Amino acid sequence: MVAFRKLRSKFHDDWCSKCYCPMREVDRKLFMLPMMVGHYVSHSNPAYYQKNLVPVDCKADIPTGMYACGVIVYHCSDCGNHVVKLSIFLPVRDKEQYDDAFLFEHGELDDFLAKNHILF
Amino acid sequence: MENKKVKKINMIYLLGYILLPIIICAICYVVGYFFFPKGTMAAVLFMVPTFAAILWWSFGGSILFKQKRKKFEKELDESNFKRNHTFYGRGNTVIVDESGKIGLMFFWNPFNSYILPAKSVEKAWVDDGRTGSGFMEGSSRVSFLFIVDGVKVRVNTFTSNQRFRMDSNYILTGISKADMMVEVIKKAKAANQDK
Repeated sequence: MVAFRKLRSKFHDDWCSKCYCPMREVDRKLFMLPMMVGHYVSHSNPAYYQKNLVPVDCKADIPTGMYACGVIVYHCSDCGNHVVKLSIFLPVRDKEQYDDAFLFEHGELDDFLAKNHILF
Repeated sequence: MENKKVKKINMIYLLGYILLPIIICAICYVVGYFFFPKGTMAAVLFMVPTFAAILWWSFGGSILFKQKRKKFEKELDESNFKRNHTFYGRGNTVIVDESGKIGLMFFWNPFNSYILPAKSVEKAWVDDGRTGSGFMEGSSRVSFLFIVDGVKVRVNTFTSNQRFRMDSNYILTGISKADMMVEVIKKAKAANQDK
């Protein structure tokens, strides 16, 4: 049963990687990533996001042709683990073109979350 | 550069680009046929112009255009033009100074470049190339267009020989680039009208 849950958790970003059960979404916030369309470069280093993400209230605040980053915080009520998911996308009119997603499971972005008043 | 009527195609250059290599090849073939029917010279007269013409048609135009564009950009930098946004289209280049100027260059008119006040842009819009309906809806070309000096300029941000769904990454990227350029042109126009 555990093996089956472990396998299922591989296909779900919002499942805990330690106890393989669904996590609860705690908070989410939208940021602007100062990179223009056609010039996107993938960064997996959390320090890059800490330095460059600009908080915005809604998608309309992001200038046309600029990338956006959705920050979602998940919390596992079984083991207390918390995971931060960054979804990088390009807002195009009423659609979103997803380019990258990163999971940070070891508190790499905790300072950033606290600074931006995101619950974790 | 400034105050010239915008011309997308220089007919002399276009005809020369296509016909000049054909004429040179024809002369070489005739000379080869009548004066050097055999030997190395005959082979040279047949092969060299043929390959040179193929190379010219394949690469000559784009090399020339790139050189002229580089020179144009250098001239802009030396003048009071701030290159805020540059879009390298396949057949043209659009450079926008958000304070109210637009620089233009065309592939088929590489010897002329234009710097225009942004208020001379009459209209700017995006064409997403959407055709079909329902599950057949798609596009193979996304572009932004503007009318300047009464001349319609189309700059492709995405082209393909295949049709893609409207939510495909290629189309969305093309639309985003086109939306951004239209916004930039409109912003430059507004800034120029305020002056």
